[in-house]
Amino acid sequence: MKKQLTRRDFLKLAGLLPLSVAAPKLTGVLDAQPFQNVIVVVLDAFSAHDISLYGYPRETTPNLARLAERAVVYHNHYAGGNFTTPGTASLLSGMLPWKHRQFIHYGTVDENFISHNLFAAFPHHYRITYSHNPLANNLLNQLAVGGNFDNYIPSKNLFLTTDGFIPDLFAKDEDIATVSWVRTIKRQEEGYAYSLFLSHVYEPYQELKIANLRPYYPRGIPSVKSDNYFLLEYAVDWLGGQLGKIPQPFLAYFHFMPPHAPYKTHRDFYQRFATDGWKPVPKPMDIFSREEDYNYEELKTARTAYDEFILYADREFGRFYDNLEKAGLLENTWLVLTSDHGEMFERGIQGHFTPVLYQPVIRIPLMIFEPGRKTRTDVYENTSAVDVVPTLAHVTGQAPTPWSEGIVLPPFAPQPPDPQRNIYVLQARTNPQYAPLTTATVALVKGQYKLTYFFGYQELNAEDRLELYDVQNDAEEMNNLYSTKRETAAELLNELKDKLAEMNAPYL
Amino acid sequence: MKQYTKQGLWSLFLICAFPLHVWTFILAFRDFSWVTERTNAWDAVGVMSYGLVFAFIESLVIFLIAVLLGFLIAKTWDPERRVTVMGHMALTASLWAVITSLFFLIPISLPSSVIAFLVKQAHPLRVLYGVSLVLVGLTVFVPTMLILRSQAFFRAIRGVFERLATLTTLYLFFDVVGLIIVILRNF
Repeated sequence: MKKQLTRRDFLKLAGLLPLSVAAPKLTGVLDAQPFQNVIVVVLDAFSAHDISLYGYPRETTPNLARLAERAVVYHNHYAGGNFTTPGTASLLSGMLPWKHRQFIHYGTVDENFISHNLFAAFPHHYRITYSHNPLANNLLNQLAVGGNFDNYIPSKNLFLTTDGFIPDLFAKDEDIATVSWVRTIKRQEEGYAYSLFLSHVYEPYQELKIANLRPYYPRGIPSVKSDNYFLLEYAVDWLGGQLGKIPQPFLAYFHFMPPHAPYKTHRDFYQRFATDGWKPVPKPMDIFSREEDYNYEELKTARTAYDEFILYADREFGRFYDNLEKAGLLENTWLVLTSDHGEMFERGIQGHFTPVLYQPVIRIPLMIFEPGRKTRTDVYENTSAVDVVPTLAHVTGQAPTPWSEGIVLPPFAPQPPDPQRNIYVLQARTNPQYAPLTTATVALVKGQYKLTYFFGYQELNAEDRLELYDVQNDAEEMNNLYSTKRETAAELLNELKDKLAEMNAPYL
Repeated sequence: MKQYTKQGLWSLFLICAFPLHVWTFILAFRDFSWVTERTNAWDAVGVMSYGLVFAFIESLVIFLIAVLLGFLIAKTWDPERRVTVMGHMALTASLWAVITSLFFLIPISLPSSVIAFLVKQAHPLRVLYGVSLVLVGLTVFVPTMLILRSQAFFRAIRGVFERLATLTTLYLFFDVVGLIIVILRNF
């Protein structure tokens, strides 16, 4: 006999109604989220050009070489830009600077893209982030407002000494407030400061706090903006420890300053390369060279200090990896090592604040450590920073990231990438943020060739400058093929100009 | 006798603020071009604005120190002389601080004959510091004595201070503008 539904039964079933509404969503979450952790480590201004793993004659990265035996190593990986702001934004957003618009010095991404980023791609992960670099923090601050983090660790927490009250007081104008504070109080920078009296008191006070560490760092203790001192080993240990305590699955983004200038290595590596006799290839001065960087010997000395600082960063990344392994975290974690941009010491240019886009400032490392991988895979196809977000989303079963301009990287993509794929890098630091690009440098890397297009610069009397290099066979970019390979150059230039027109269209 | 009058304190504050603001203006204008090149002119104005706000704060600190030091002076001095002496000391100390900074700012060096003389000494640095101490002492001590003993000198210094005070009032106006810019940049 069919039993009638009593009033009591109905009420019991009604109690289950909210669960029935939530159930499909919960199932969806469980299906799409295989609970693998993700850690992205950025070593700032880390040029592939100076990494022995990629063929640099000085052995700067013994630890990376050791760890590479269990990684996917990308040999021709390009940043989105040539300094922190566009480089980091491209890595985190999966978009190139002409789309996310963070290509000025202290810019932020277009408001429309706050929800389009690495963190938003992992909505069910516990998202933790830390950066030494104030420019990266400017971007992270913007993303934090958009609710992208569960744990955004303030940079000052891992500094030995800090001007932390400046970002606290002037959060929305941190960069310029900090520049002014440095000019006001820190005589170290130039030997004089705006402040005639307090600067004499402030410096000894700061110095007192770190005096006992001085012997370990013969070139000075690593620092950001003069005297915000830090130790990479402290950051690595503390953050590594946090990863064992936070809920899983997690997504961690750690942006460490070394080997960015000032190049203050640990005493274990001090003068390691000072007398090795290695000489960089002499290169002609560039029109954008700076008077203070003309001297070949001085550039060589600076490069040696940089290479020794890389040794320090390499050791600490090695320790970071080993600690994660000991903690058992790597069994279930994707670990990515990369950078935001490179660094150069040639053609009368030191650093990366430059209109040029030679390989040392745009070719960066990328290593992906897959959970459980025991073998090495080398990828020689051209890849871009914008590929990292779609790749991580893909390998961990997250929803696709259609906003990204990148692709899923080999060997994780179902199909091999197009070998003739266009990789773009943009420098437009002085161009207004929301205007068509009229003063900029764009590099287009396609196959073995790289076309660099400079336009709108006063130094060039507003005329175009074009260079074409075979970067596979002429890694030092010594032979400009623009006038001899006219057909290739014209083809690449047309593609580049078409792309520029497409990207400028919304701002015309 | 009352140690300070309101007018005297205000004058002393203006005298303390004067060199700090002049120096900030000079350096901020020097920085204007590279900050503009680094980002833009509005940011260069921002650097200058923060600089002026910090200069105002430093002026307050130096003023408070000067006031406290003034209490060490005998009560028999009249408040005007007390303010004039403290103002003179603040100005002189600022002047020496500027001179030490100028050493890094522009390529100046001691005359070669002085350097040759120092090199010949057994302890050149001691001699240099000794001479510096004497110079600083004289620039503090001699005007202080003249302010106390010579009515004409006292009046002349007062006249100078009054003119500087007028100029500093203008700088304070710029401080207010700077503060407004700082507030605007943080909203």
